[in-house]
Amino acid sequence: MNGSKFWRKTAQYLQYVVVSLLILLPIIWMVSSSLKTSSEVTAYPPSLIFHPTMSNYVRLFDTLPYALYTLNSIIVAGGSTVLGLLLAVPAAFAVSWYRKNWPASVALTARMAPGGLYLLPWYVIFTAMGLNGSYISLILTHTIITMPITLWIMSSFFDSIPRDVLECGMVDGATLMGVIRRIAIPLAAPGMVVSVILTFILSWNYFLFALVLSKINTTPLTVAAFRFVGEGITDWGMLMAAATVLALPPLILAFIVQRWLVRGLTFGAVKG
Amino acid sequence: MSTATSALAGKRRGALGRFFTSPFVWLVAPAGIFMVTLTAIPFGYVIYLSMQDFLVGMNPIFTGLQNYVEMAKDPVFWNGLKVTFFLYAISLAAQLTVGLYVAILLDRNLRGARVLRTILLTPLAMPPVAVGMMWLILLDPSFGPVNYFIQALGLPGNLFLASPTGVIPTLAGIDTWQYTPFVVLIILGGLQSLPSEPYEAARIDGASATQMFWRITLPLLTPSIITAAVLRSIDLLRFFDTIYITTQGGPGNASTTLNIYAYKSGFVYFHMGYASALMLTLFVIVLVMVLLLSRLRRAAR
Repeated sequence: MNGSKFWRKTAQYLQYVVVSLLILLPIIWMVSSSLKTSSEVTAYPPSLIFHPTMSNYVRLFDTLPYALYTLNSIIVAGGSTVLGLLLAVPAAFAVSWYRKNWPASVALTARMAPGGLYLLPWYVIFTAMGLNGSYISLILTHTIITMPITLWIMSSFFDSIPRDVLECGMVDGATLMGVIRRIAIPLAAPGMVVSVILTFILSWNYFLFALVLSKINTTPLTVAAFRFVGEGITDWGMLMAAATVLALPPLILAFIVQRWLVRGLTFGAVKG
Repeated sequence: MSTATSALAGKRRGALGRFFTSPFVWLVAPAGIFMVTLTAIPFGYVIYLSMQDFLVGMNPIFTGLQNYVEMAKDPVFWNGLKVTFFLYAISLAAQLTVGLYVAILLDRNLRGARVLRTILLTPLAMPPVAVGMMWLILLDPSFGPVNYFIQALGLPGNLFLASPTGVIPTLAGIDTWQYTPFVVLIILGGLQSLPSEPYEAARIDGASATQMFWRITLPLLTPSIITAAVLRSIDLLRFFDTIYITTQGGPGNASTTLNIYAYKSGFVYFHMGYASALMLTLFVIVLVMVLLLSRLRRAAR
């Protein structure tokens, strides 16, 4: 290796390190602040060396109903993920089998609407129906996020199944439903795992609908965190504990689906 | 219905009969009915709402286009439009520039590139609510580490989110932190599918690396850059979560984007009709921008 090549490579790695630090340092600061005592959190100059303590987390779950909020987040994200899957899998198969392209354009148009555009009529309708603040209203509304993405991902998984395999099943006398159940779904099972994880993350992270449609006992973590900020922050350590509790599950799940995360986020724009 | 569908339906029936026995219709029906009920019908209703004077708790009165007339005279609306586009323009410019830079950095297949690609996913997976909270502490004017770092360099500290003039650039910075990785990964996909022939020809002709970037890489990458721009435009024009967590539109109305203003009109002041008119206007703006950019992409190809 000659000298100039060595320096070029070093410069390259140096830039990698800078970009990585710019991304990771804020997150590290958030997590480490959640492990500091209240005097250490607001210390100036900022304290870099401290004895980590879990006291913020203990107080978060003891003095506030954070166990309930966490459960609510799981119910809403889980419920909308499952409902989205049930609705989208048959549709995705049909779209793939009959080679329709319009769902992508429908998905893109739906994606362009601001969430508030639907939230206004929903609020009026759900109030009239007495559904405001119920899990049902939250799961149904979050499903308009999970369902199109599942449809999109599953149809590309179904596309990758060779047509012969499915046609053989039909020649053997199985009904279309039988072919879907016994051949297509098992072959596209990895796609279902990807869809479930991805839509769970996106539903868990989604803020706006629950901000309006949740009541005290159905509040998910996103809205709880927002209320915490709105009350005027005095306890920064506990606030960062709340942020960490909110951010950790999607971060862990994201590492499982890695490249699919990007594909899920680009949905509607580019096919496949 | 396509020929494949009718072949599967088997027997010859009337058009309506074929429709109801087609497996395609049955498979798509649950998802279709769901989407129509939760989006198409509410969409129609929101248009109707936008033509009403509808204060929650009062009887709605049909007023035709009155809400739109009021909107045209509302200084907060015009301010919201200005804030929305200012935030949009600087965020998009920053994200595309930094995104292109990091994508090119990652395109060389060094061993660290894979690690960095994984790291890039972390901001994308985080809930915007948590990201907002995180930057509240990082940018705190009195004890935040960012100001400490700036002052250690001998520069004056900044109020960031509490500053009427600094709040928009600060929010653009937060969004750039969170979503530039998205731009990077889209452009990287484009970079890795570039043909190698133009580069070989240019090298024979003795072109420099800079010339090759401006003359070959950038023009060939334009479609991916525009794809990234379209997707970021959709989100940036509707920018909501991070703003609502950190400033709720303040100080004053300095960060009251159209989306924030529409939300507040509906769910803080309970003017559902006026809020509907604002939301519809925002939707049309997003639609027009996306159509313009898509036309640009077609032209670039």
